[in-house]
Amino acid sequence: MLKQMVRLLTAALFVSLPYAAAAAERVADPVKAWNNHFKTWAVVSIVVYLVVTVPLIYFVFKYKRRHKDETGAYIVGNTALEILWTIVPMIIIIMLGVQSWAVFNDLRDVPKDHIEVKAVGFMYGFEMYSPEGIKTINELRVPVGNVKVNLSSKDVIHDFALPAFRTREDMVPGENTYLWFSAKEPGEYPVYCAEYCGSGHSSMLAKVIVMKQEDYDAWVKKQKGEGTTVAALTPETKGKELVERLGCLGCHGIAGEIKAGPALNGVIGKSQELEDGTKVVIDEAFVKEKIADPKAKPVKGFGHIMPPNALAKEEYEAIAAYINTLK
Amino acid sequence: MSTQPTGFKSWLLTTDHKKIGVMYLVTSLVFFVVGLLLAFIMRTEQLDITKKVIIDADLYNTAFTIHGAAMVLFWMIPVLLGFLANYMIPLMIGAHDVAFPRLNALSFWLYVGAGLIAVMALILPGRLDTGWTGYPPYSIVGPANTAFYVFAVHLLGASSIAGAVNFITTIITLRAPGMTWGRLNLTVWGLFGGFIIQLVGVPVLAAAVTLLLFDKYLGTSFYDGTKGGSPILYEHLFWFYAHPAVYVVALPVFGIVSDIISTFSRKRIYGYTSMAIAIMIITVVGFETWVHHLYVAGTLNWTRVVFMWGTIAIGVPTGIKTFNWLATLHKGSIDLKTPMLHALGFISLFTIGGVTGIANGLLGFDIQVHDTHWVVAHFHYVLAISMSMLCMGAIYYWFPKFTGKMYNEKLGKTAFWITLIGAMIAFLPQFHLGYDGIPRRYWKLPSQYAGEMRIAVIFSYITIAGFLMTLYNFVHSAIKGEKAPANPWNSLSLEWQIPSPPPFYNFEQIPTITDGPYEYGKPADTTVKAH
Ligand code: HEC
Ligand code: HEM
Ligand SMILES: [Cu+2]
Ligand SMILES: [Cu+2]
Repeated sequence: MLKQMVRLLTAALFVSLPYAAAAAERVADPVKAWNNHFKTWAVVSIVVYLVVTVPLIYFVFKYKRRHKDETGAYIVGNTALEILWTIVPMIIIIMLGVQSWAVFNDLRDVPKDHIEVKAVGFMYGFEMYSPEGIKTINELRVPVGNVKVNLSSKDVIHDFALPAFRTREDMVPGENTYLWFSAKEPGEYPVYCAEYCGSGHSSMLAKVIVMKQEDYDAWVKKQKGEGTTVAALTPETKGKELVERLGCLGCHGIAGEIKAGPALNGVIGKSQELEDGTKVVIDEAFVKEKIADPKAKPVKGFGHIMPPNALAKEEYEAIAAYINTLK
Repeated sequence: MSTQPTGFKSWLLTTDHKKIGVMYLVTSLVFFVVGLLLAFIMRTEQLDITKKVIIDADLYNTAFTIHGAAMVLFWMIPVLLGFLANYMIPLMIGAHDVAFPRLNALSFWLYVGAGLIAVMALILPGRLDTGWTGYPPYSIVGPANTAFYVFAVHLLGASSIAGAVNFITTIITLRAPGMTWGRLNLTVWGLFGGFIIQLVGVPVLAAAVTLLLFDKYLGTSFYDGTKGGSPILYEHLFWFYAHPAVYVVALPVFGIVSDIISTFSRKRIYGYTSMAIAIMIITVVGFETWVHHLYVAGTLNWTRVVFMWGTIAIGVPTGIKTFNWLATLHKGSIDLKTPMLHALGFISLFTIGGVTGIANGLLGFDIQVHDTHWVVAHFHYVLAISMSMLCMGAIYYWFPKFTGKMYNEKLGKTAFWITLIGAMIAFLPQFHLGYDGIPRRYWKLPSQYAGEMRIAVIFSYITIAGFLMTLYNFVHSAIKGEKAPANPWNSLSLEWQIPSPPPFYNFEQIPTITDGPYEYGKPADTTVKAH
């Protein structure tokens, strides 16, 4: 009995090895590879769950105690059986592990033909830099193709999570990390901060915008073109730049949408109820005070998570001027 | 034998392992209730995941921080390594007390001190909001008073190290004559493994948080990546202890499940030796897994692969234990009393947590679900809810022993089913969020999950209600319960062979042991009773 068992298991191991080797082959698309891996795992897991719970329920009914002094059968053990349920889980785990390793290699080995961009996390937002050096906030524009993103952080640990491409990696201050993805379809894909970083963690959101090559080229041209005329910055444009750079847009919409905080368009002149029940009409001074000391006059109905920013006087004014232009 | 001293002062100054055990139980249950209350608040906030319901992001962050710390450090570990180890180890190995009774009392009071600091961290200004993990640089540059965290860990660490030394010594040196290693209850084996992990791991954690304190208040830069240090160093040191810490909880739980299943099936535990070996393998291999918490932290790619194998290897001994439990049920004589229901309910929840945990361990898989709600769901199934439930089962099981009273069976079963049904559903939606890559520790979530999260909230309420009914049962029965017989379960284990509650010195004479605790229905029964 025991010998047969061992023979059977050795055979099973050898049959399964080529399968594992096949799984280790490099797949072209990491997203597909991950999806396959998930399916394998799901099937194995459902089987394991049934193998545990079905006998459990069956035994409970079948061997219910019938009278008070009954005792169970005296069974010490069965070596063959114990070897069986040691080796079978081992084989399953080795197979899953090999497959997972292959998926991991797909997700981490950057193909040769790729462009490189940069993302820097800060409390609370992402600064993105295109290969041409164009800086954007909370928005990474890339052409269709393979993209390597070099990651770092300005303050605490953040994480650049890109679930649509089944990948993510931490952004660690003082260290350089990376991830890559294969952008196939033009569209918008959400980015989340997946490493806890304080008050604004759940509003630290961004997106990757994949564009057709020609659209991307046009966008680059436009950005560069603007770059040359910035010479005389009006307060409004300076304010816009500050609002983007300081990560205000992580928590505030500028087109009426409510995020972690109220939308910024039309706030100047609006009557707002504060936490203590008093009403104020928001003016430029209120905005300035809000940025410098957000907790001084907390607005009702929101969490008080806005971080303070110590800026120069002209900068406060620039932001207020910009907000005033938002209708 | 001297009589048992009574009165308030006798509790405060006691060095009796049984009294210390009961004080651990009461204190840890208080923290369990605090943890449940915070869970209730967090879940209520999730009734609407797009805007504020009752608390803002800062309070939410404090809530999950203290919830996690209270539940892991002040409830699960103390109820097992404090209450159970104290009360049961001397009774199970046939000893009058632990090896160092006064050190034992010190452990308890250090734990109470740490608990008070944790409560301060919840209510005083500079509230802790770092997550129970306390990662730098956020814990250094953030608004929280990290000193609360560090000092709580220091006191708790001193308490744990003293406890570990004490109980390892007790188990090695105070076993009654004839109580060989092969005759120990698996509960004792599990606790033994747990204490070894504490002894090896806690000093590393203490060192890690001490450096945190230096960085924050003395201007050093151990964890400052811009000045030659590394925040990742902290993550390594923290998880070197904090991952094995889940086995500190799990190993005793595995032992208890074995004891309960054997008693209520009146059948020898299947594969005793492989059970004990599996416990010791997990004790060792448990230290080969911590980097799975750093799968996306920029660690070298090949390190991640090495630790993947360590992590998923744990699945094998864990699988062995599960199959041994099933084999024990086979041809048993099963009596579904409340403790037994809890043990079986535990297996059904634990297996969900187990298979989803393998997914977390699988490197390629985990990249998508790392630090997402998948992980939250996974550890609530595998540890948090399932093992808390099992602890309730353990308290029911030994309730007649340490109170001398019977609990209310009907209420016990009702509360069990309510808890189980709640727990089965309460975290399922979070697997879906995690599959979609939605991060954890998010105050607000993308609006498309609103419906699912509301289901999670409702079933969490049901789970919490179930736990509260169980706690009510304990309190009510401890005061008004019927008197219990010495051995209501007809168990062969040594702790049941003496009166309930046990006399002051446990055994009038140290017994001589001639057989193991599980030998039900052994042909030509030679099992020795304690007397
Ligand atoms: C972490 C999220 C967060 C960030 C980042 C943030 N805010 Fe806020 N802000 C809020 C919240 C929440 C409120 C409302 C609650 C309060 O007042 O505390 C608010 C309120 C305001 C208000 C008052 C609006 C009203 O309708 O009453 C203004 C103006 C404002 N913020 C401007 C800014 C500017 C400018 C920045 C960038 C420098 C910024 N915020 C960055 C979260 C944030
Ligand atoms: C009915 C009972 C419980 C409910 C409803 C519950 C709910 C929650 C919720 C909502 C979170 C926060 C998730 C997030 O936003 O990231 C959480 C985190 C956590 N829970 Fe529970 N929980 C319960 C019981 C327990 C128990 C018994 C434990 C015991 C170990 C536990 C341990 C933890 C830990 C360690 C965290 C992580 C904290 C952190 O991120 O720092 N929970 N729980
Ligand atoms: Cu974050
Ligand atoms: Cu872990």
